[in-house]
Amino acid sequence: MCNHHDKLRSNNVDLQQIEKQLDRRTFFKKTSMGLGALALGSLLNTEKMWSSVEPMTGNADMVGSFTKNKLGLPHHLPKAKRVVYLFQSGGPSQIDLFDYKPKLKDMYGQDLPDSIRAGQRLTGMSADQTAFPIAASTLNFKQYGESRAWVSDAMPYLSEVVDDLCFIKSMHTDHINHDPAITFFQTGNQQPGRPSIGSWLSYGLGSDNDNLPTFIALVSKNGSGQPLYSRLWGNGFLPTEHQGVQFRSGKDPVLYLGDPENYDGNDRRNMLNYLNKLNNISHDTYGDSEIKARIAQYEMAYKMQTSVPEVTDTSDEPDYIFDMYGPDSRDPGTYAANCLMARKLLEKDVKFVQLFHQGWDQHNDCPAGVKNQSKSTDQGTAALIKDLKQRGMLEDTLVVWGGEFGRTVYSQGQLTATNYGRDHHPKAFTMFMAGAGVKPGFTYGETDDFSYNITKDPVHTHDFQATLLHLFGIDHERLTFKHQGRRFRLTDVHGDVVKDILT
Amino acid sequence: MDNSVSDLVLFIGRFHPIIVHFPIGFLFFAFILEAVSRLKKYSHISDAIPLALLAGAISAFVACIMGYMLSQSGDYEKSTLDTHFWLGIATTALAFLAWLIRTEIIRIQSLAGLKPNISALLLVILVLGITGHYGGNLTHGSDYLLKYAPFGNDDKIPLVAVTNVKEAGVYDYLVNPIFETKCISCHNKSKKKGGLSLQDSVAIKKGGENGAAIAAGDVNKSELMRRVMLDPHHEDFMPPEGKTPLTDEEKAILNYWIDKGNADFNINLGELETSEYIVSLASRLLGLKDASGRVNGDLPIVSKVNKEVLESIVVEGFRVRELVFESNLYEIVLPPQTITKDNANEIDRKLKKLLPIKENIMWLSLKDNYLGDQYLKDIGTMVNLYKLDIDNNPISDIGVAELVNIPNLEGLNLYKTKVTKKSLSSFSRMISLKRVYVSETLISKNDVALYMEREERPNLVIGI
Repeated sequence: MCNHHDKLRSNNVDLQQIEKQLDRRTFFKKTSMGLGALALGSLLNTEKMWSSVEPMTGNADMVGSFTKNKLGLPHHLPKAKRVVYLFQSGGPSQIDLFDYKPKLKDMYGQDLPDSIRAGQRLTGMSADQTAFPIAASTLNFKQYGESRAWVSDAMPYLSEVVDDLCFIKSMHTDHINHDPAITFFQTGNQQPGRPSIGSWLSYGLGSDNDNLPTFIALVSKNGSGQPLYSRLWGNGFLPTEHQGVQFRSGKDPVLYLGDPENYDGNDRRNMLNYLNKLNNISHDTYGDSEIKARIAQYEMAYKMQTSVPEVTDTSDEPDYIFDMYGPDSRDPGTYAANCLMARKLLEKDVKFVQLFHQGWDQHNDCPAGVKNQSKSTDQGTAALIKDLKQRGMLEDTLVVWGGEFGRTVYSQGQLTATNYGRDHHPKAFTMFMAGAGVKPGFTYGETDDFSYNITKDPVHTHDFQATLLHLFGIDHERLTFKHQGRRFRLTDVHGDVVKDILT
Repeated sequence: MDNSVSDLVLFIGRFHPIIVHFPIGFLFFAFILEAVSRLKKYSHISDAIPLALLAGAISAFVACIMGYMLSQSGDYEKSTLDTHFWLGIATTALAFLAWLIRTEIIRIQSLAGLKPNISALLLVILVLGITGHYGGNLTHGSDYLLKYAPFGNDDKIPLVAVTNVKEAGVYDYLVNPIFETKCISCHNKSKKKGGLSLQDSVAIKKGGENGAAIAAGDVNKSELMRRVMLDPHHEDFMPPEGKTPLTDEEKAILNYWIDKGNADFNINLGELETSEYIVSLASRLLGLKDASGRVNGDLPIVSKVNKEVLESIVVEGFRVRELVFESNLYEIVLPPQTITKDNANEIDRKLKKLLPIKENIMWLSLKDNYLGDQYLKDIGTMVNLYKLDIDNNPISDIGVAELVNIPNLEGLNLYKTKVTKKSLSSFSRMISLKRVYVSETLISKNDVALYMEREERPNLVIGI
C-alpha cells in the first residue's frame, strides 16, 4: 500500500479522525458539496418545502430516540420508564426511622462493645470520645401493613404505604464524610468529575419527551446543613446535553422564560436557525463536540419556553391533591411542593427527576432533628407514592428514597435519657424503593443488634447503581464511555445486580 | 489414599499422556513404512522400518514408566487401570520383539512361512490400539468416545419431559445436568480426581478423599460448594483452570438443592420452598412456559419492521422506542392531548398506522387522547401487548371487553375512565393480567374489596 498521507497521520485513532476532518481533500469536498447544496437549496426553495414539517435541527434522525444512540441499548427488557430519586442529604438515621433494634433499650448508656466496632476508623468528630455509649432510639416503633414493616412514629404517613415499599436494610458505602459519600452515590466515584446516574441514563436511553430535559434536579428551598453542588447532577465527561437541569426552588423554576416587553417572540425560531448555522460552522472548524451540545441546549431552552410554564403550573390540581401532599405543597420550593412537581414532570415522561433535601445530619439533638426532618418530608414522600399508584404510574416509575450513609448506634457527644447525637456510619444503613420492577412490601438484608454491621445480604452503593440501571434494561457493565483513553462506567469495575429484590 | 507419593513422581507421571503419543506415532509409522515398502517403487524405505520400531519400543518403555508413576496418584479406577497397565507392558514387549524379528537378530524357524515381519507389526498395532483405548477411558471416562455416536446410544434412560416445573425432580432435572456438563469429565466412575465421582447418587454421597462433597442442608459445610464459589484464581477453585466455570444460575441451583432440598436425590421442586427466581430459572432450563406464557422467558419473536413504516408512525406524532436492541419490539406512545375533542377524527387515521406493526408493540400508551370504545377493537388484536395505558379517556366496559383476548397483557391502566364493575369479569378473562388501575372510575372501593375476596388476580388498584 502506498499512501503518502499516512505519514502525516497520528497513531491514535481519535486524533486521526480529527486530522481527517482538517485535511485538504476533505476540505475541498466539504466546501464544494456545501456550495453545491446551497445552490440547489436556493433553486428548490427548500425553506418553503420544509416549513410544513417541524424544523429539525441537532439530530436529523426522523425516527427519534430509538435510533439516536448507537450503543445497542436497552440490553434487556426494561421494567422502569422513569425514576424519581428522593435524595435525603446528610445521612438519615436508620436507627431512628426503620431499623428497629429493641435490644438496645436494655443497653442504653453502655459502651459499644469493641467486637462490634472492630477497630473501625471513625470521623474526626467522634474519634476522640473516651466512651461510645449506646443510644437506643427514643422514638416509638410499630409494625404496619400486611408486610409488618417497622417504622418509627416520625413517619406516620409513610407507614400507610409500607406495603408498596421495598426496604433495603443492608446498604453500605465506602465513604464516611458527606462530600465523598454523596459524590460516590451520585456518580460512582468519590472524586468529582464522573457523570451522575441521571446523566448516564440520559446518555444511554435518550429522552422520552423532547420538550423537557431528560434529567431534572429539584432542591428543597431554605435548606441548611451540608452543601449540595451541581456536580451531583453533572454530566462529567459525557456530552453536556446530558447534565441535569436544576429547577429553582421557588415560584419561577426557570428564569427568563417569558419574552421581554414589546417582543412577541415570533422570529425567535429564525434567530435560532441562524445561530445554529453559525454554531455548525464553528463546529466544522474546530471539531469540538461541545458545540453540538450547545446547539442542543439552545433548542431545549427554546422548547422549555412553552413546556416549563405548562408543567410547573399547579393551579389546576384539585384541593384533595394538595391536602394529600400536605400544607407545604402550596408553598413552591418546599419538599412537598417538589414532590408534586415531580409527579407532574414524571407524567410528562421526564426520565429522571431527582429531589434533594438537606438537613439529615443529626450530630446532636438527633431525636428532635429526625422528627423535624421527617415532618417536612414524610407526607410529601408518602403522597407521591400514593399519587403515582392511583394514576397507574407506579407500574413503570421507580421511586428511590435514601441518603449517602447512615448514623451510628453510639451517641456522639453527651447521652442523656432523652437526647443524643449520632455520627456518620457508612457500614450499614437503610434505603427504600418502590414501583417498577421491585418487590412491594418486602424487606431485604439484615443488620446486627446494634445496626452497626450487616449480617445478611449486604448491598453496596455500586450494587444499588447496577440494580437501578438494570431496571432500565441496561447491563451496567456494558454502558461505557471512552474518556482519556479509557472506557468508564457508572459502577467502575464493581457492582452486582440485587436480583432478590426484583419482581 | 496413599499420600506418600512424592511430588516429583507425580510431576513426571503427568507427562505420560503426552509421551504416549510417541510410541503410537512411531509404531503406526513403522506399519505404514512396512505396507508402502511392498510397492516396488518404494522398496528402499524398508530400511527405515527397524529404526521406527526401535524408537517406538524405547518410547513405549519410557511411557510405561511414566504411566506407572501417574497411576500412583490413585485417581483412577482400579480394574481399567490394571488392564491398561498390562496392555501397556505387552505393547512395549511386542514392539521390541517386532524390532528383533525385523533386524533378524532372532529368527523363529517355525514361523518362517507366516511372514513374521508383517504379523508381528499387525499384532503390535492391535495391542497398541486396545491399550490406547483403555488409556483414553481412564482420562476421559468410558462414555466419552461414543457419546455423540449416531448409533446405539440409548443405554441411558432419557428423562421424561415434565410439563409442570413443580413435578421436576430437583436432582434429576436440574442438578445432575450441571454435574454432567461441568464436572463429570474428571469425576466419574473410571476417573476419580481427588477420589470423587459425581456420576450417581451413591458416589456423590460417598464423597472424595477430602471427605463428603456435600453436606445436606448446609451449604457452608459442603466442600463442593466451597470450591465452586471460590475466587477463580484460588488454587482450590473448581472446575480447574481451562475448564468452564459454573454460571451464577448453576451455583444458585446447587445452593438451592443443598440448602432447601437437603441434597435429597428424589425430591421434586414442588415439594420445597422455592423462590420465584429458582422457579423461573428451572422453567427456562426445562424449556417450560413461564407465567407470561413464553417459553424460556424469552421475548416474543416478531418480524422486522422496515424503516418507512416506523417513519410513517412517527410522522403521526407517535413516539417510538425499541424496547430491547434489535428485538423489533416497540414501545409506542401518543403524547397526551395530541388528540382532543377538536381533532377527534384524526385518531382513527393515526391508530390505523399502527396496524402493520401490531405484533411488534409491547408497551402502548394512549393516555389522555380522547380515545373512545370503538378504537379498542384494533388494540385487542395486538397479541404481544404487555402493558397498556389508556387512562384519562372516555372508555367504558364495551371497550374493555375488546381487550380480553390479549394473551400477554399484564398491566392495564384505566385511571379516570368510565368503566364500571361490569368490567370486572373482563379482567378475570385476561389470562396474564396482574394489575389493573381503576381509580376515579365508576368502580367503587367496595366493588374492588368484594372482587379481591373472590379472585386471586388481577390486583385492582384503587383510590387514595
